[in-house]
Amino acid sequence: MKRAQFSWYRPWHPWIFLIPTLIGLFVFRLGPMIASFFISFTEWDILTDPEWIGLTNYIDLFEDPDFLQILGNTFEFSLVYVVGVMFFGLLLAVLVNSKLKGITFFRSAYFVPVVTSSVAVGLVWNWLLSPNYGLINAVLEAVFKVTPPSWLGDRNIVLIVVAMVQVWKMAGYYMILFLAGLQEIPNMYYEAAKIDGASKFQSFKKITLPLLTPTTFFVFTIAIINSFKSFEIIYTMTQGGPSNATNTLVYSIYLNGFLFYKTGYASAMAYVLLVIVAIITYINFILKKRWVKYQY
Amino acid sequence: MKQLMLVTSLFLVLCSMMAAQTVLEYWMWDPDLKDRTLSVIEKFEAENPGITVNLTVMEASDYWTKIRLMAMTKKLPDVFNLSSGYIEEWASKGFLLPLDKYVEKSLDQDSFYMNLFEAEKELANAESYYAVPFALVTTVLFFNKDMFDDAGLTYPNSDWRWDDFLEAAKQLTLDKDADGKIDQWGFWLYGRYAHIESWVFRNDGYLIDRSVMRFAPDKNGLNTLEFLTDLVTEYKVAPQPKEMAGVRQQDVFPRQLAAMWVDGSWNIDNNRIIAGDSFNWGIAEVPMGPAGMVDSAYGWPDFVAISNTTKEPEAAWKFAKFAAGEGLTMDMYMPGKIPSFKALAESEEFYSSDAQPDEMALLLDIAAKEMKSSFTMSWSEWRGYGAAEGAGLNSILDSIMNGDMTFEDGLKKMDTSINKILGKIYK
Repeated sequence: MKRAQFSWYRPWHPWIFLIPTLIGLFVFRLGPMIASFFISFTEWDILTDPEWIGLTNYIDLFEDPDFLQILGNTFEFSLVYVVGVMFFGLLLAVLVNSKLKGITFFRSAYFVPVVTSSVAVGLVWNWLLSPNYGLINAVLEAVFKVTPPSWLGDRNIVLIVVAMVQVWKMAGYYMILFLAGLQEIPNMYYEAAKIDGASKFQSFKKITLPLLTPTTFFVFTIAIINSFKSFEIIYTMTQGGPSNATNTLVYSIYLNGFLFYKTGYASAMAYVLLVIVAIITYINFILKKRWVKYQY
Repeated sequence: MKQLMLVTSLFLVLCSMMAAQTVLEYWMWDPDLKDRTLSVIEKFEAENPGITVNLTVMEASDYWTKIRLMAMTKKLPDVFNLSSGYIEEWASKGFLLPLDKYVEKSLDQDSFYMNLFEAEKELANAESYYAVPFALVTTVLFFNKDMFDDAGLTYPNSDWRWDDFLEAAKQLTLDKDADGKIDQWGFWLYGRYAHIESWVFRNDGYLIDRSVMRFAPDKNGLNTLEFLTDLVTEYKVAPQPKEMAGVRQQDVFPRQLAAMWVDGSWNIDNNRIIAGDSFNWGIAEVPMGPAGMVDSAYGWPDFVAISNTTKEPEAAWKFAKFAAGEGLTMDMYMPGKIPSFKALAESEEFYSSDAQPDEMALLLDIAAKEMKSSFTMSWSEWRGYGAAEGAGLNSILDSIMNGDMTFEDGLKKMDTSINKILGKIYK
């Protein structure tokens, strides 16, 4: 009887539901990715026909001192961002992982910067960080009697400052991920540890951190990928300056592709970025076996 | 039978109407002006019954990418707006209709500032006219009248030279509360094109040697770069660019952080918005250098161009001429932009406004001069424009002014990095 009810079913039927998504994926994601690969071997100003130039774009990239600086900036930004969001994301998650009255307010408050427009965040932080007219330096000078630096003008520190603003903006997102991980840890472990006389710090070190490693691994991977994709905050705050100090790979791809119309060169850069992200993610997956502990 | 005849005659009338109707596609980049541009089109269609114009408007950020793709796929609109930064590239690659025969035979040359047509030839690096200018922007010296009055200084004028400027800048740089920090700067500049080239051309110099299309500033150009960077590093009458980080560059003057500033005339609008009537300010010509020329200025027009693939060149010319001149109204111009159509530029509406500055007529004097600019192909890359402001020549000049690089090292870097970019374009 049951068989009769599903007699209309054919194995190809799921494809009917998959096709709309697959078409979108192929046309808007995989198609441009493949096209971009071929474009990276051309010189193309999107005004005249592309000209095949082989590996010239890739050779030019690695011979360009500015590109090497941009590559360095990208890694520096990534390092500050990944360490920052993991530390502050976990810290916030631990703080809001309690059953205190009104804790939902704090969870929401910490998440607000995530959903705030990068343009607004960039503008407000620009005002706050302005060396002579910003609130932060005014407070530092009045209270601590120090001469603070030009946070956004000093090329030795500006990249760290912009990365920290992005950490401030995104920490709430990672907080949510860590919070979900924390709530997955059964309470019985903490109860057992308490009976055995473990301090809160010992419980955190011996129970929370090890059992949180699957989430930590996920957060780590996502944070690395996101760090390489950070664009809006640089566009809004520094536009790659001063003196190229905040110009990162993804920002440079935008400039070359959509301002200078060096589409082939920009595509080559995009593929260098793809390879870097792929290698780091691959290493991350290999190392996972050594430090990630699954409960189940 | 009667019905058949009626249908046939209706069909024939429709066909003949369709055959007689010329349809033009027109693209422009300013959505704020969409309604007013539609009015221009309506007026044009009323005066030219056989021609219909379809308007496409998009944000400037999308405009260039889309119109380039249209050009590549041979679907360019018949008429479109074009900026000075792209005219050489578009003309040299054959996308623009040469307009010589139209300009010479069917343009009332007394009704336009013809020097802007000549500027267009120089911008296009060509012997032909390729577009009709509709709005000129130039650069001026903005000055705070209240600060000048407080210091007992006379206002800048067209005879001002570098020495006059420097003397005033020194007197206007003040540490009002004696805490060792400057509260009022005499001047504000950084590596931006309008901040730099304005002075270069007013010293009869150049940055680009157009005979070889390379970055090779002449003696006057070099003197100007040195004078400008010295304003920050030696005379200390202007802040290091990094000291103004976080403040929008165009807000430094209207927020009264500096007494003088050289930038584009379009900033009149921002000054009115930010400063309002909180202080008195004016505009003057950019001070002249030791080798200065009285009859030239830094400025560049925006254009209406015609596609080389248009099937209706006569109609397109008619419309381009109309949409760059007599069809426009003053409320389509941002304050500080100068119409190329004399009747508009010289109308009461242009300069008799209640709003500051009082010296709006000065813009017309400048508009009549020979216009110079530093545009080349790949200009935005080597100059550091828009989203690339942190790169290119901007970045090197800022490094010098921030004390991160000596002037000599900066010059070497300019030579290698800029000429590398230009060398790829002009082989």
